[in-house]
Amino acid sequence: MNFLLLTSIEFKKIRHSKILLILAAATIILWLPSIFNASINFNMQAEGISPENNFFIQGFMGMSWFMFPASMVVGTVLLSQTERTNNGILKMLVLPVSTMKLCLAKFTVLLTLAATQILMMTGMYYTSAIICSKTQDYNFILPALFVLKEISLLFLSAIPMITFFWMLSVCIQTPGFSIITGLVSIVPSVLVINTKAWFAYPMSYQFYVITSEYGKLAANLDTNQIKLIPWIPVAIVITIICLSISCLCFGHAERK
Amino acid sequence: MRVSLELKKVKRTGFLPTFLCGGILAASFPVINMAARTEIYLTQQGSPLQILFNANWQIIAMLNVLLVITGTCILYNTEYASNAMQKIKSLPTRAGSVFLSKVILTIFMCILILTIEAVAVTFCSYYWFETGNGFLIGLCKNFGYELLLMLPCITISLLISEACKNIWISLGIGVICVFTATMLPSDNFNLSLFPFAMPFQIFTDTNIEQVIRYICTAVAEFVVICLSELVFIKIRREFE
Repeated sequence: MNFLLLTSIEFKKIRHSKILLILAAATIILWLPSIFNASINFNMQAEGISPENNFFIQGFMGMSWFMFPASMVVGTVLLSQTERTNNGILKMLVLPVSTMKLCLAKFTVLLTLAATQILMMTGMYYTSAIICSKTQDYNFILPALFVLKEISLLFLSAIPMITFFWMLSVCIQTPGFSIITGLVSIVPSVLVINTKAWFAYPMSYQFYVITSEYGKLAANLDTNQIKLIPWIPVAIVITIICLSISCLCFGHAERK
Repeated sequence: MRVSLELKKVKRTGFLPTFLCGGILAASFPVINMAARTEIYLTQQGSPLQILFNANWQIIAMLNVLLVITGTCILYNTEYASNAMQKIKSLPTRAGSVFLSKVILTIFMCILILTIEAVAVTFCSYYWFETGNGFLIGLCKNFGYELLLMLPCITISLLISEACKNIWISLGIGVICVFTATMLPSDNFNLSLFPFAMPFQIFTDTNIEQVIRYICTAVAEFVVICLSELVFIKIRREFE
């Protein structure tokens, strides 16, 4: 079976999972306060950031801190638990398909879920920006190219974290442990981004990237800027290690 | 109500170790924070409990709420995973009793994690601060208050887990609710009554009237959620 077919089958499996509803609900709840408190954006002279940039970046900071990583944990639970009922996973494992391919196909689905949530987030951003432009009589809408750049940065920087969560859900069989390890690892990222060793902690990458973008947009704010050199190699190494461990461990417990 | 039976059910689900490890992790946070930034906190005004709670409670409360959500998801996932729920319905027990035993079990777990955290706070106070008379009473008051405020959160997340057959949906709803709670403005009284936002409240800074109002609301929410669970079971049975 080729990889594309496998991935499309994985998509079919989660068709009735209502995961998209959960992802969408998260993004809607995220933007509602921004719509109600749109006038706050005009009081940002101290930071030296324009209202439309502030509106955009505050929303994305809220998302990249907790909502997005936590949604990814929910996504890993979905992918690992859908086939547990009635031992569907056992049947998949006896098929003449390489387990590594199966693991990567599921991981691709997870990445697609991540991309979907970021796109939903962008959609909601534009919707709320249009609403606020009407209510506040000020143009909140940013050019599409800029937004595209930011969301691609967000997605790329989140990949190491997603592989880490995927590894957790594959390697730890008891769902409780993998969930709580994932969720708990998100919480300290607020503190980790202020330390020098932030590049060793994949859960803080996307938040760090967005905060440093905030620093770039706000003239008077002095946030840490990204240093590419220790970060990119470390991130790539973490991604490769996590992905290979999860490929090797996939189906290991079931086959015992 | 058979709490011991519920305890047996969760034996190999990682329920107990989850709470234990989570509690230790949450408890280690104030210690690490104090050790790393001793000067900042030692120069602050106020009692040790006030300083420690203001500095650390937001993160600890968040960990507690995440623990409760994960724990309750596990509690009902074990029932749904192999259709045990259907068997429970055919047993000669009252429908709400399983829910209540799970509530009591989760409350015990919360007492456990709060105790671990209280030990850590006591350690911090004795090690870094001068503690005056009545420290232990203050400590008990603080953590007792937090336990009361956690009741609505415990019951509502159990209700969500019972209502959703799939663990990822209940977990997803829980995560969204925690996120909403972190976004709510803390100075708005009505909004802070949201069950998931209540555990973020601190005892030391609020005046006594406000405290009583919070406690009354917490108990009221607890009772209302338990009653609505009974109604929910009745309604769901009609549609099955």
